[in-house]
Amino acid sequence: MKTIRAFMARFGGLFNGRRRDWEMEQEFASHLAMQVEDNIRSGMNPEEARRVALIKAGGLSSARENYREQRGLPFFETLLQDLRYGARNLRKSPGFTAVAVITLALGIGANTAIFSIINAVLLRPLPYKDQDRLVQLWETEAAPGTYPFAGPDYLDWEKQTKTLAATSVYTWPMGVNASNSGEAQSLVLIQAETNLFSVLGVDPIVGRTFAPDESQPGKDHVVVLTYAVWQKFFGGRQDVIGQKLELDAEPYSVIGIMPRWFKFSRGEVFVPKDMSAKGMHERGSHWLLAIGRLKPEQTVASAQAELSTIAKNLEHQYPDSNDKIGATVVSLKEQYTGDNRQELFILLGAVALVLLVACANVANLLLARATGRLREIALRAVLGASRWRIVRQLLTESILLSITGAVVGLGAAWWFVSLVQNAKTLPIPRANPIQVDVTVLLFTVLVSVFVGVLFGLAPALQASNLDLGEELKSTAQAVLSPSGWNRWFRDGLVVGEIAVSLTLLAAAGLLLRSFYNLRNAPTGFEGSHVVTFSTLLPQGKYDDLTSRRKFFDRFLEGIHSMPGVDIAAIASELPLEGGTNGYIKVDGDTDPAHRQMLVEQNYVTPDYFATLGIPFFSGSNFSPADMDREGAAEQKVEELYKQNPNLKSVPAELSSIAIINRVMAKTFWPNQDPVGKTYRNGGRTFRIIGVVGDVTVGSVRGEPMPEAYYPYTRALVGPIAFGHLLIKTHNDPTAILPSARAQLRTLDSSLALFNPRTMPEVVADSMQDETLQTWLLGSFAGLTLLLAAVGLYSVLSYLVLQRSREIGIRMALGAQRTDVLRMVMRQAGTLTALGIGLGLFGALSGARVIQSMCFGLTARDPLTFAGVVVLLAGVSLLASYVPVRRAMRVDPMVALRYE
Amino acid sequence: MGDKSEVWQGTLALMVLKTLESMGPQHGYGIARRIEQISGDQLSLNYGTLYPALLKLEQEGFITSEWGLSENNRRARFYRLTRTGRAQLKKEAREWEQATNILARFLSPEEQG
Repeated sequence: MKTIRAFMARFGGLFNGRRRDWEMEQEFASHLAMQVEDNIRSGMNPEEARRVALIKAGGLSSARENYREQRGLPFFETLLQDLRYGARNLRKSPGFTAVAVITLALGIGANTAIFSIINAVLLRPLPYKDQDRLVQLWETEAAPGTYPFAGPDYLDWEKQTKTLAATSVYTWPMGVNASNSGEAQSLVLIQAETNLFSVLGVDPIVGRTFAPDESQPGKDHVVVLTYAVWQKFFGGRQDVIGQKLELDAEPYSVIGIMPRWFKFSRGEVFVPKDMSAKGMHERGSHWLLAIGRLKPEQTVASAQAELSTIAKNLEHQYPDSNDKIGATVVSLKEQYTGDNRQELFILLGAVALVLLVACANVANLLLARATGRLREIALRAVLGASRWRIVRQLLTESILLSITGAVVGLGAAWWFVSLVQNAKTLPIPRANPIQVDVTVLLFTVLVSVFVGVLFGLAPALQASNLDLGEELKSTAQAVLSPSGWNRWFRDGLVVGEIAVSLTLLAAAGLLLRSFYNLRNAPTGFEGSHVVTFSTLLPQGKYDDLTSRRKFFDRFLEGIHSMPGVDIAAIASELPLEGGTNGYIKVDGDTDPAHRQMLVEQNYVTPDYFATLGIPFFSGSNFSPADMDREGAAEQKVEELYKQNPNLKSVPAELSSIAIINRVMAKTFWPNQDPVGKTYRNGGRTFRIIGVVGDVTVGSVRGEPMPEAYYPYTRALVGPIAFGHLLIKTHNDPTAILPSARAQLRTLDSSLALFNPRTMPEVVADSMQDETLQTWLLGSFAGLTLLLAAVGLYSVLSYLVLQRSREIGIRMALGAQRTDVLRMVMRQAGTLTALGIGLGLFGALSGARVIQSMCFGLTARDPLTFAGVVVLLAGVSLLASYVPVRRAMRVDPMVALRYE
Repeated sequence: MGDKSEVWQGTLALMVLKTLESMGPQHGYGIARRIEQISGDQLSLNYGTLYPALLKLEQEGFITSEWGLSENNRRARFYRLTRTGRAQLKKEAREWEQATNILARFLSPEEQG
C-alpha cells in the first residue's frame, strides 16, 4: 500500500518537472535565507553569515540531483530523456530517418500482414464450441484420397458410432435462385441435417436454428441466413423472422440469422436436408459431407478405429456398392488448415528473411552514422557517462526508430488485411476473420522491439567501445576511419543481405517459372473468346424432361441468334473444375489398376467440342437424333429404377452412347480403335462413338484423366437440372452477358445467372493458390533485392568517401582512373561474389522445401538459378555505379586539401 | 562532511516525524534546526539529506506540505504530520525502543556476567 502510493506519487513526479524544480529552488532559497538571518542574529557580518550558511547547505547541485531522483522514477526519467534526445537526433537527419523508417516499415508491415493470416488460419482456435472435439468425416475408396459420403452409409455410421456424441451431414455448397420480390439472384445453398448448428455449437444472433422435425416434407421450408444475406435481402431488419425468401421458386420462412463471423463451407443460406431414404440417394452415390463431435474421452484415433470397423462391416454387407469403401477421421482444425500449413510457413519464413535484410540495412546505416557520431559519444563518455549508459541511449534511439517503422508498417498491414478481407475468393480457408487483433498487435510490438535491439546492439556496442583520448585528439579524417572490426562487420552484413536476397529470388524465380508453366500448360481447349455462366432450373417448376429440354433448347436458340455469337453449348461440367466421376467395367479387361481408375463424366450438347476447340480423333459427334433418343431412353431407365430400386442391369435397347477422350482410349483400349467398343457403368452399357482430345480436369497440375462425354439430354432426367452455358463470340466475350441475362429473364424471371466468367478467368480461378503465392513471394524477393542493392550502395559510397584521400594521393602519384575503378569494383565484386556463393549454397540445400510448389521444373532448376545470379550481379553493378563514378571524379587537389 | 555525524535515512525519518509531532507544522529549516539542537549539534543536515527525506515521507503519505509564511514573514513550505504519519511514528518509535533495549542489554556489562 505504502509502496503503491509512493510509486504513484513518484510517477506523477515524472511530469510537470519545470514547476517542481522551481518549487524546490524556492524552498532551498528560503532555507538559506532563514539560515543567513539566524547567523546574522548570532553576530556574524552578512558576508560571513552567507558563507557559513552555504557551507552548511552542502553541495547544492548534488542536493538538487538527489531531490530530483527521489521525486520521480529515475529509470523512466532516463528513458523519457533518451527518447526526447533520440527523437531530436532523428529529426536532425531526416534523410537517414526516412530511409530507416521506410525500410523497417516494409519489413515489419509485411511480417504483420503475413502473421495476421497465420494467426487467423493456424493459431486461433476455430470459433466453434469445444472446437478441438470437432472432426470431419470422410469415406475412402480404392483410389487414394478422401471422398464424400453415400447417404445410406452415413445413416449407418450415425446409428452405430459410440465414439462420436453427434454427427451431422450436409451437402456441397450449391447454387440456388433466390429472391424476395425483385430480380432473382444467385446464392450458395447448403442442405444440412437439422442438428448442424448445435453440433458446431453456434447460436444464431436472431431467431433460432432448425427443429429436429423440420427435415420432414411439409415442414422443411425454413431457412437460416448468414449475416451478409440478411443485410442484402432484408436490410438487416430485426423483424425478418417469419419473412419469406423464395428459393428456386419456392417460398421459405426465415427462422434465424447466424453471427457475422460465421462461415461454413461457403454456404449463404441453409435449409434442412431431406433425411428420408429417397432424399439420401442410393448406396454407391457419394455426394454428402459430414462432421462429428467426439465424446469427451474419445480421440481422433479411437473414432478412426471404430468407424473403420463399421465401414468394414458395410463392405461385407453390401459388396456391390461398398467394395473398398473405408473411413477417415480428421480433426476439423486440421481439415481447415492442413493443405495450407506448409505454404503459410514458407511465406512466414520468406517474410522473416525480408525483415532480417531490412535490419541488416538499418544496422549498416547506423554503423555509418555511429562512426560520424564518435566525437559526440566520446564527449559524453569524458563527461562521465558510463558505457552502459551510452549503449542504453543508442539502443533507445534504435528502438524508437523501429517502433516508428512499426507504426507506419502497421498502417500498410492494415491496408493489406482489408484487401484480404474484401477478396471474395481468396484461396485461404478460414473460419476466423483475418484481422489485426490484439495478438497481431502484440506480435508487432515484440517484433519491433526485438528488431530494434537486433540492428541497434552491434552499432551501439561498437560506438561505445572507443579510446577516449584518441577520439578527442583525432582529426575529422581519423574519425572517418573506423576500426577494422567495423569494416568487417559491415561487409559481412552486405554479404548476408545479398545471400538472403539470392535465396528469396531463387524461390520467387522458381514459383514464377512454375506459374508460367502452369499458365501455359496444355489444357486441351481454346477458350480465349468463350464466356460461361450457369443456370439452375427449380425442381418444382421444371419437373420433367420435356419442360427442361424446352427451356434449354429455347435458351440456346436465343443465345445463338444474338449478334456476335459464333457458337454455344451446354455442359454439366467445366474444364479444370469437373467433379463428377465413377468407375467403369470393360468386359474381358482383367487389369486390376483399371478398376481403380476414376472416369470423369460430362454431359454435353454436340456443339461443346466446337465451342472449346476440342478436336475429334476418330468416330463422330452426337447427332440431334441421338440427343432425342438418349433423353427418352434415360427417362425409361429412371422409371425402371423407380419400379425396382435394386435393378442390376438395364435392357440392351436402352444402352447409351459415349464419346471418350484419348487418355481413356489409351488406358482401356491400348493400340485399338475404341470406336464401336462398349463398357459398363452402373448397370448401363455404353457404346463408344467417338474419340476427342484430352481436357484438363481438376487442377492444372494434374495429369489429364479419362473422361467420357454423354448426351446432355441424359442429365436433364433426375433431381437437378443444371447447366453451364459456354458461348464463343468473335469479339469481347463479356459484352454479350447483358443480353444473355435479358434472354434468361424473358424465358423465366425467377432464374438467376450464376457465376459469369470468361474461360481465361476459369483458368485463373483454378490457380488462385499459385497466383497468391507467386505474387507474395515475388514481392518479398523484389523487396530484399532492393534492400540489398541499397546496402551495397551505402557500403561502397562509404568506402569511397573514406578512401577519397588515398585515391587522391594515388592519382597524384600517377594512378589512372581505371586503377581507381578497379579498386572500387574489386570491393563490390568480392562482396557480391561472396554473397552469391553463400546464397547459392543456402538456396540449393534448402530447395527441397518448395519442391512441392514447383511445376514443370525441379527446385534446383539451373536456368532459374543462373537467371537469379545474373540478375543479382546486374543489380549490384548498378548499385556500384554511383559510388564508382564518385571515386573516379575525385580531384587529387581537393582530396589532399581535405586534411 | 567534517567532524559531525551523518544521519541515515531510517532514523532521520523517525526524527522528522517526532519533530513535527512535538512542534506542529514546521518548515524545512525549522526541522533541521530542531534536530541539530536536540542532537546537541552532533548532527548536521545538508539539503541533499534533508529534502529528499521530506519528499519521501510526503510520497508515502505520512506528512503533507503547503506554502505559508514564516515568523519573519518569509515564504516557506510548511510540513505537517498526517493521521497515518502519527500512527507510523508510534509504530516506529516502539520498534526503535525495542531495538535499542535489546542492543543495550546486549552491550551492558551485567548481561555478560
